[in-house]
Amino acid sequence: MRFPAISLLQRLALVGLLGLGAAQVVHAAPDANGAPDKFVQQVADETLAALKAGGGVKSGDVARVNQVVTTHILPYVDFEKTTRLSAGRYWRQATPAQQKALAEAFRGTLVRTYAGALTRVDNQTVSKTLPFRGDAKADDLVVRTQISQSNGQNTSVDYRLEKTSSGWKIYDLNVENIWLIQNYRNQFAQQINQNGIDGLINALNQRNQ
Amino acid sequence: MRVASLAAAGLTLAGCASVQQPDPRDPWEGFNRGVYSFNDAVDRNFLRPISVGYTYVTPQPVRTCVHNMFNNVADVWAAANSMLQGRGLDAINTMGRFLFNTTLGVGGCIDVATANGQPRIPNDFGTTLGVWGFGQGPYLVLPFWGPSSVRDGVGLTGDFFGNTYTSVGAIENVRVRNSLYGLEIVDRRASLLDATDTVDRIALDPYSFVRDAYLQRRNAMVLGQKGQDNLPDYSDDGDAPDAKSTPPASSTTTPTVPAPGANQSGTVAPAKR
Repeated sequence: MRFPAISLLQRLALVGLLGLGAAQVVHAAPDANGAPDKFVQQVADETLAALKAGGGVKSGDVARVNQVVTTHILPYVDFEKTTRLSAGRYWRQATPAQQKALAEAFRGTLVRTYAGALTRVDNQTVSKTLPFRGDAKADDLVVRTQISQSNGQNTSVDYRLEKTSSGWKIYDLNVENIWLIQNYRNQFAQQINQNGIDGLINALNQRNQ
Repeated sequence: MRVASLAAAGLTLAGCASVQQPDPRDPWEGFNRGVYSFNDAVDRNFLRPISVGYTYVTPQPVRTCVHNMFNNVADVWAAANSMLQGRGLDAINTMGRFLFNTTLGVGGCIDVATANGQPRIPNDFGTTLGVWGFGQGPYLVLPFWGPSSVRDGVGLTGDFFGNTYTSVGAIENVRVRNSLYGLEIVDRRASLLDATDTVDRIALDPYSFVRDAYLQRRNAMVLGQKGQDNLPDYSDDGDAPDAKSTPPASSTTTPTVPAPGANQSGTVAPAKR
């Protein structure tokens, strides 16, 4: 609304994306080896474009958001690291098989968490990357974004990334000042104290059904 | 009522010590869980259905307008708190928002300020107390209200007082005032529907999820800009032991407290020897 020219460009870009999608061409995949803020912007744009392609999110259609997150965000998420940090000191007590099962079980919850910030996407929704602060050469940093909806409400979403051998990987997410890993640490510890690591895996798997 | 709930907290605490490994921030967990279940039952049976109904019968533009108008009058008290916290720029920006939205935004119906790059800076008296140096105190779930803490409970009474001068509470006509209070509650609940539905989908234990989210968010509000530059430090446990950095005085319970040696850009300066 503020910059009509930009929204026109975005509309054109969207039409372009739709055309490309129809032609089954994967174009300009997010560059995990580039600048971290550009990379996040690309991931966010691609995700929003995929959600908008179907005319936005109809209320209650969470399954579709989950599916888009799985195909467009999850490939860039190091969910094993997220699980490891959420488990904290209990991670080392788990056997390799348990660690694998735990990460696998937590994945569904992670997808739903990432999807949680995207349930109100419509054609006006825009994700804007905020100016980068801090040390751009660091290999563990945060890219801050703001998702603005058509009803004027903004949601702040920050991504914490780590540079790996295969490029940038997202491992933690902050929605409205709440960090994902920090919010799961107590719940993980609680379950493990009550029912052990297998109990936690079972509880997570139950939530996936 | 607060005194009553505190007394009740004490009683319940004496009566049940069943919580294993209590979180140091939540010594009254047994009592809090009881109130949480009560609030949850009230919400699921009354408030949530009413709010869902409200979103069905009112078109989105009307709801947005109502929501914006409540936010707009709330900006006055938020600005006062920014001032009390010594965040002068926030106070000026929030007052600017109020004037801009009240005039060009037709009485606050349209949030023209956000559309022009000045988003809301929510603020309240509990945050002010935090900025003044009062700790969160024990976590406290208030009946009908929800997550709070001893400090924020005291803050709420301050907010109520401020509200009687700056917001709906300033309206003299009792009927109008009470109707607007009712609408405000429904509006707040309706705007939280997405958030609470998400919690239902992703929380292992909704009680701890809400508690940890609340404490994190309040902590971040008190720290303001500083908080954004201090990332949670997960390296002390779980992560593979590494010697590449010595985390400065990290504590697992309050990782967002500014660590000595962390400068404005969030990078960690080498510790002094």
